[in-house]
This record gives sequence, C-alpha cells and structure tokens, in this order.
Amino acid sequence: MTGVLRVDRLVVAYDDIQVLHEVSLEVRPGEAVGVIGPNGAGKTTLFKAISGLLKPRSGHISWEGARLDGLPAHAVARRGIVYVPPGRELFPQMTVGDNLTLGAYVARAGVHRRLARVYDLFPRLAARRPQRAETLSGGEQQMLAIGRAVMARPKLLLLDEPSTGLAPLVVAAMYRQLTTLQQEGLTVLLAEQQVPLALSFCARIYVLENGRVVLSGPPQALLGDPALKRAYLGVDVPP
Amino acid sequence: MIPILLDGVVQGLQLALLAVGITMIYGLGGILHLAHGQVAVIAGMTAALLMGAGLRPLLASALGVLTAGLFSVAMDLTLLQPAYRYRGEERLLLGLVLTLGLAFLVDGFLTFRYPEVALTLRLRTPSVVVAGVTVRTASIAVSALALAAFAALAAFLVGTWLGRAVRSLMQNEVGAALCGIDADRTRTFIVGLSGLLAGLAGVAQGLFSSLGPEMGTELTILALIVAVVGGVRSLTGTFTAGLLLGVVNTFASYLVGTYITLIFLLWVALVAILVRPQGLLAYWT
Repeated sequence: MTGVLRVDRLVVAYDDIQVLHEVSLEVRPGEAVGVIGPNGAGKTTLFKAISGLLKPRSGHISWEGARLDGLPAHAVARRGIVYVPPGRELFPQMTVGDNLTLGAYVARAGVHRRLARVYDLFPRLAARRPQRAETLSGGEQQMLAIGRAVMARPKLLLLDEPSTGLAPLVVAAMYRQLTTLQQEGLTVLLAEQQVPLALSFCARIYVLENGRVVLSGPPQALLGDPALKRAYLGVDVPP
Repeated sequence: MIPILLDGVVQGLQLALLAVGITMIYGLGGILHLAHGQVAVIAGMTAALLMGAGLRPLLASALGVLTAGLFSVAMDLTLLQPAYRYRGEERLLLGLVLTLGLAFLVDGFLTFRYPEVALTLRLRTPSVVVAGVTVRTASIAVSALALAAFAALAAFLVGTWLGRAVRSLMQNEVGAALCGIDADRTRTFIVGLSGLLAGLAGVAQGLFSSLGPEMGTELTILALIVAVVGGVRSLTGTFTAGLLLGVVNTFASYLVGTYITLIFLLWVALVAILVRPQGLLAYWT
C-alpha cells in the first residue's frame, strides 16, 4: 500500500452542477500517470479534490491505505501529496529563495541540500534567487512552483497543466527536468492539455470527458483508438 | 522642540506596538480587530488588581500582559475561528460585528465592575538628564521594551519557520495550505502574540500616566488610525506610521491642546490615505 493513490467513484459538485461523475483511478509508486481531456472535462476539479481544496460529494480517495478525502489541504500536503495548481499560488512579494524554502515547511531536514538540487535543476531560479516571485516570467514562475513542490520532498506530485501559456522551448526544458525527477523515482499525476506531451511522459493515461473517465490505458494502446485521435489530436481517421 | 520630538517618538513606539497586532490579524485573517484597545486595557487592569492584592509591580505587570495574551487566544478560538469559515466581505463584516460586540462587553464589564481601579506604575528614579535634555526614566524603559519587542518580532518573522509561515499566509492562503501550513493554528498563535504586544502597550500606559477601565475604545481608535496609515498589511509601515502619528500627536497637544489632537491625527490619516492609499510603505514588509 506504500505510495498508492486510489480514487474510487469520486463525485464532486459545485452547488447543483455535478462536475465529476464517479471517477475512479489509481496511481502506483514510481509511476507517471496522465489525465487528459478537453477544457472543462473536470481535470482541475479532480486534482483539487485529491489535494483537499474541494470536498467531494461522495466516493473515496485513499493514500497508502488511509482515507484522504475530508482532510484539509494542509494535512494532505503533510502526507507527501503536493499539488502544483495551474494558478501556481506562489507568494508574490517574497523572494524566489523564500518561496522555495517555504516549500520545505513539511520536510525541514536537509533544506539546503534540496535547495541546491532545485537550483541545479532550474538554473534560471538560481539567477533570480533574491528577486520577488511576482517579477518572474511565466515560465520562471512555473519552474518556481515545481521547485517549491520538490522542496517538500513529495511522495506524489500533482501537476496541473504545467505547460499552459508557456513558450514551446520553455515547456521542453521543463519536461526534461520533470523526466529527470521522474526517473529518480518521483510518482507523478499529470493533467495536460497538450496531449502529445502527456503521451510521451506518462506510462498510463486516463481520458476524462464531461467528468467521466471514457478511456484508460498505456499511451500505445490509446493511440490506436480513433476516438482519441479525433478528439484530441485533430487527426481525422477514416472509419 | 527636542523634548517634544522625543516625547512623540516614545508615544509613537507605543502606538506602533498596539497597532502591529491589528495589522497582523488583518493581514493574516482579513478581520479588523475592533477590541484590540480593550485587550491592552485588560492587561493594565489585571496588573492594577493584582498590585492591589499585594503583588509586586513587575510580577503583576507580567501577569497582566500574559492575561491579555490568553484572553486573545480565547477570543480567537471562540469568536474568530467561526468567522474564518466565511470568505471575503462576509468574513470582514462578521469579524467587525463580533469584535465590536466584544469591545462593548469588555468596556461595560470593566467600567461597571471596577470603575475606580486604574493602573499607575512609578519608577524609583523619575528622570535623568541625557545630553542636556531631561528624560523620564519611564519613557526610556517603555521605549526600550517596545524596541526590544519589535526587534524580536522582526527576527521571528524573518528567521523562523513559523514566522515565514505567517508572512506566507499574509500573501496567499491557498499557497500556504499547499505548503502544508495550518492557517487556523498559525492565526491563533498570531492573535495571542498580538494580545501580548497590546498588553505590553497597556502596561506601559500605566508607567506613563495611568490606565483606566474606560480607555479601550480610545486606544482601539488610535491603533486603527496607525494601522490604516501604515497600510494594513505592512509591518514596517505600521512601525513608521506609529512614529509619525506619535510625533504629530505630541506636537498637536503642545501647540493647540489635547482636546482637539484627535482631529489633527485624523487629518494626517486622511492626507496619508489620499496620497498613498496602499499605505505608507506598502510592499516593504
């Protein structure tokens, strides 16, 4: 049960509008799992529910065999599940260094070593160390958000749309570093709009549509599915 | 001129000590604490009552300050925590109503129950001459205390994990939660700390002249003006605004009389808000 995330028939609703309909998925230790789907499919809602920012209406979320749903967000973070939201949620008037240090709030031993590691992964952040977070470019802010999450020594990293709004070169650089982290054994659950990125980064994919899991499996298997090609790759497949 | 200026600085330090709690509680939880002056009065009154019971002034004062801190923690746990469940304007309004109600309650209880009690502390040597200027030892003592409290607060905010958590919460509550920071517990701690600082200012008032049960509202208003002029999220701003308004206050009472100094203070506040609506030193925290 170590390092296993299980989402079981999860239902989340905002007032009367149901956003997730009995979504189930599993992430095993060391895996990179992707969630893809169009805008409004419920990807961010799913991530918010796992990280404790939203209370599910029904269903279960368990982590290492213990129940996760119903816990407040800070308690989820303490269990090693660290969420990098699309809005990044940095501390705008604090320096890059302070932002990173705060990431280690739940894992204070060895802060300096990890700080050096993050600066090693993202040299741009090292150069910007004394600057306030609000002065960084979009790509640098995304790297800072990921760096802050790495500082928490996460057991499971929830990456929500990390490539949105970033230049292709920046995205490529970011995914190189994410691949490095993943190969070192980090478990990742990734939501990504750019389907090719998700397909090459993840070992298993869930396709979310209108709040339901409509397809799941390894990328190779999904690539053969005409529905996926039509909907997400823009490739017209003859019947 | 110099003695008035010095007097203003001494008074300003006390104002800042009182206002910094309002700044922190507002910055951290979005609640404008309207019973903060009453917390200072609770410290002074407790000290006065304990001295009346025969305790030594230093011990009585320390216990008074402690009582103010505990009172604030109890207030946070019973009144403010439920308000934090709401967000934005609802939380602000609920906070205003709850703390205003508490202020009335404390004022009513103290003036009804202990109308004759007041805290007056006397030091053994009333005054010393420093560089040709006669200074009251009480002024030196309370200023040293206030400066030490500010230095400790700054060191705490910059150099400790909890201090960093406090600063992060002031900027982004969601981001702090994602870092594993428990907003409720951090707030309780800060409300308690603000209570201790207000208590220190209350006891210091007794060292200056005297502190009576009816002074809560006056102290709250002074602290509010300082916090607003300083920009309700900036601690360095609060410190500067406290010094500025302390000096304005003493000059105004010297030149036109105590009775209308509050009008002067409000004028300065008005101008400060018009010129720098974000606070004197916004974003310098």
